[in-house]
Amino acid sequence: MISQISDLFLVLIIVMAASVVMRGRAPRYLTILFSGVILVFLSFNDLTLTNFNYGTLSILSLTFQLNFVSSVLLILISIIGIFIPLRYKSTPGFFILLQFLFLSLIGLFTVRDFIVFYIFWEMVLIPSFFVIGIWGGKSKNYAAMKFFIYTHIGSVFMLLAIFTMFFAEGASNFSMSTLISGISTISLPYQAFVIFGFLFAFLIKLPTVPLHSWMPDAYVEAPTEGTVFISSLLSKMGAFGLLVIFSPIFMASSLAGSTLVPIALMALGIFSLIYSALVALYQKDLKRMMSYTSIGHMSFITIAVGGFLYLNGSNPLASQLLYYGAVFQLISHGIIIAMIFSLVDTLEKATGTRHIPSLGGLARKLPGLSFLILAAFLASVAIPGFSGFVGEISILLGSYAVLKFYLIFVLIGVVLTASYHVFALQRTIFGPYNEFLGNISARKEELLVAILPLALIFVLGIYPALIFHIFDIHAIQFLGGIHP
Amino acid sequence: MDLSTILTFLIFGLPLIGFPFVIGIGYIKKNYSMYLGTALIFFSFLITLYLFFSYTVNGTVIQYSFNWLPSLPAIIPLGVYADNLSMIMALMVSFVGFLIILFSVGYMKEDPNRHVFFGEMVLFTSSMLGLVLASSLLMLFIFWELVGLCSYLLIGFWHYKPNAASAAKKAFIVTRVGDVFFIAGIGAAILYSSGGALSISGLGAIHLEWQRTIVALLLFGGAIGKSAQFPLHVWIPDAMEGPTTVSALIHAATMVTAGVYLMARVYSIDTSLLTPTALTVILYVGVVTIILSGLIGLVVNDIKRILAYSTIGQIGYMVAALGLGLGVTSIGLSIYQLEAHAFFKALLFLAAGSILHAVMNVRDINKMGGLWKKMPVTVTAMLVGALALSGFPGFAGFFSKDSIITASYGVSVFAWSLLAIGGFLTTLYAFRMFFKVALGKPRSDPAEHAHESSWIMLIPIVILAAFSAIFGIFQQGFYDFVENKPVTGAFGIAPLTLTDMVPVILMLAGMGIAYYVWGRNSTIPQKVTSGASDFYLLVKNKFYLDVFFTNVIAERGVIGLSAVSDGFERKAIGGLVDASGKLFQNSGKVLRKIQTGLARQYALIILIGLILALLLLRILMLSGVIH
Repeated sequence: MISQISDLFLVLIIVMAASVVMRGRAPRYLTILFSGVILVFLSFNDLTLTNFNYGTLSILSLTFQLNFVSSVLLILISIIGIFIPLRYKSTPGFFILLQFLFLSLIGLFTVRDFIVFYIFWEMVLIPSFFVIGIWGGKSKNYAAMKFFIYTHIGSVFMLLAIFTMFFAEGASNFSMSTLISGISTISLPYQAFVIFGFLFAFLIKLPTVPLHSWMPDAYVEAPTEGTVFISSLLSKMGAFGLLVIFSPIFMASSLAGSTLVPIALMALGIFSLIYSALVALYQKDLKRMMSYTSIGHMSFITIAVGGFLYLNGSNPLASQLLYYGAVFQLISHGIIIAMIFSLVDTLEKATGTRHIPSLGGLARKLPGLSFLILAAFLASVAIPGFSGFVGEISILLGSYAVLKFYLIFVLIGVVLTASYHVFALQRTIFGPYNEFLGNISARKEELLVAILPLALIFVLGIYPALIFHIFDIHAIQFLGGIHP
Repeated sequence: MDLSTILTFLIFGLPLIGFPFVIGIGYIKKNYSMYLGTALIFFSFLITLYLFFSYTVNGTVIQYSFNWLPSLPAIIPLGVYADNLSMIMALMVSFVGFLIILFSVGYMKEDPNRHVFFGEMVLFTSSMLGLVLASSLLMLFIFWELVGLCSYLLIGFWHYKPNAASAAKKAFIVTRVGDVFFIAGIGAAILYSSGGALSISGLGAIHLEWQRTIVALLLFGGAIGKSAQFPLHVWIPDAMEGPTTVSALIHAATMVTAGVYLMARVYSIDTSLLTPTALTVILYVGVVTIILSGLIGLVVNDIKRILAYSTIGQIGYMVAALGLGLGVTSIGLSIYQLEAHAFFKALLFLAAGSILHAVMNVRDINKMGGLWKKMPVTVTAMLVGALALSGFPGFAGFFSKDSIITASYGVSVFAWSLLAIGGFLTTLYAFRMFFKVALGKPRSDPAEHAHESSWIMLIPIVILAAFSAIFGIFQQGFYDFVENKPVTGAFGIAPLTLTDMVPVILMLAGMGIAYYVWGRNSTIPQKVTSGASDFYLLVKNKFYLDVFFTNVIAERGVIGLSAVSDGFERKAIGGLVDASGKLFQNSGKVLRKIQTGLARQYALIILIGLILALLLLRILMLSGVIH
């Protein structure tokens, strides 16, 4: 029925149009329908590797591909697309923007043409910018502007890199497969610039320290439903770029097998992990602290990609542990961080504050909420049984093959991450009850909705084969290096 | 999967699946949780018993693994591996765990959150059972982490107490430090064996000596954290903030024995996996731990903390036994000590719990005294525990610990002498505690009004006391079973020599001194503390290790670094970004002035621009950048 991606776009645009026309609660429910359509599309394609070819339009090639990374990310989009409408009763405008964002992201994750990729990349900015700018907190304009400009600087370099490839190779269109496979024919400085341009754009989006400063502001100032989708989905753009765009370019280039860029990536990842944990430890605002958690989680992706490129296919087991671990980390982090931010919101609504020193002993008055926060934090610390464990342990085990002794630095980051989580738990939900909070209660339905991501986190943590099977049924074509 | 495999899975699977129901049923009636929780662990024990006698004793090793992460070039196995070593551990864990949970039924019967407590206890025991039955390092690690999680939750069970919340955090972070070494160890094992060493039975696939050393030492790093060995033992004394039954479970059956089991497990697959370098490290970590904990145990006044330090020391003997490097003999010695310790340490903790129950949770032994008359059963059981702990001839500890000391004589006389001194210190602090609790006159109001505990608490105590007293008779059989061959020449089996008598003499001397110093009114303690005040302060402050970790590393180091990072984040990075934003805004203000509106000026600028562009193009063409 909708096994073609063009049909998917068509149906989604109809749903969006319906949301625009209908008022009231309709857009909220239509968002759930929207997510359902994505799932239907995925199931019609059996999650397998599928190429969709719609010819060329002048210099653009209208080619789409459903590979295992995009399948996983599309699943994540639909999960978030079900979770946000269930959890938040926002205005119709928000849901229309959300659907627009989903549409752009689906395009971004599937398209195999650089210019169209760039267009989708920019389209994603629009709804995020408006959501922060319209419904944001006190300094929403500052945060929205910073977010916009930061991402844009990255995009400029990416665009330059795309044009460099196109003109230097003398290609006839912007098809990813031809441009990537031809990269080794152009002169080395150009290749280096292409690699730099993409890397820069993706590392900003991920974000990686020191290119991250847009992120805490954007997360804190955005309305909570905005924070949920920005943290859960937008950081995946950078990760997707690194895994599916940057890695093949690097491996096809003449620089493949050189160690400088992979080492730099791993060093950046490790630095991000430790730095974000140290900064998080000192935060008083729970929401700000959790936005540094996001940096920490995403730095595992940087480490994984660096290690994967360093190995260059020489150790299949370690390579695949790193790569698959990173893909698993995408969906796992997406769900965990969405749950965390929505719980922080519930906590703020119940107590009137998210300032950590003003909290304390909540387990006594809000046992349900405390249990959920505890579970979400443990998932974030990557305790076995929660999905965070699978991604993290795969990456850690795989990266021993690359880092050996230097793995100690990653492990320091892991311990620090655990430390600030339990330190925050000690000061918020444990310890003596802070009597200044008075008589508080959390909303039951908000807690009930949080069970959805928690259940997913559990299922994926205990039976990760659900996601790992997807890797199996894909023939990995676009990453020659995985199977040497 | 045949019946035996399914049953092996059920040993830990039943309580693992059952624990949410234990909590859930508590919302109907709190007491149902207690019964369901106890029943689950009892069933686990029965299944273990059945498997033990119908498969393991016949020499059947139950093995089953499935692939946890498909699509990878190597199998990532999860499953069960039940051989002699793991089954004897499972038997002990489920049996002692059951007795402790039974005791909790009496001990926690008034706690408003007891349904959560029993749920967590069940999860704790099942995690430990999963750990000992794991078929791969990864599965072992998964349950290893769950054990850590449960200890975090249970130490912080009375979370409204600031000390408990803080102790739980400390336990979590300190054991986490050990855990990451374990992760690195698994990573190393995978790399050096191309994935083969993931399953327990394939550990021998690591071939080179230096690779084995690395893997062994990294795994031992994990064991140090979990088994509370020097220098990561600091979490255990603080962990006494939890309910006493939790301490009993942590110290006897679960958690701290996990590290020893891990090393024994690795060693049992291939005795050359622990290389001489690794063995030396293991031996001396054990020995140092024994001496340090023995000294600290002498100056601590909190009854539970004395027991905590004694655990650290006794685990030290298990670790040292492995470090002796006697092959399977070491495993026999170590695991026998582990199980004997499980019985008498569970006994001591439950007895302490019974006493604390009676004296309103006043934990200072200086405030007790004269309890033998008030609580005859409990305190007599405690005497049995103390005798077993210090290795009085005939009691469990005598067979387990003195065997290790004797065996060490052939390896290193230096280690032997330190181990023997450790035994002497053990006796001193064990009887210091016992005499102060049992003899003399009550030294506080609660001790005055103490009375014997209820029968449901006394039954487990009496059972454990019986085991602590008679466990020695299993020694020969135990060694034969664990080492899978008839053992000759072990201590207590071979004829005694003169060196064998040294620990016994030291032990009896220790008992005598303890009575002379603490068993009656005496000023000797004051004289010793003032006479050797520097040394006393050093020991009293736990060799400044806690201070070092808490104040120097955590507060000055990590928090300080964190403050610096936060400042850097706001001032440097944030400032730089804002400054560059300002730069563009201001340059906009400046450049706005060239918007004059005069057509001729514009034309001039266009002309100049055109000339510059053409020049640039020419230069680029000349230099060959553009063709």
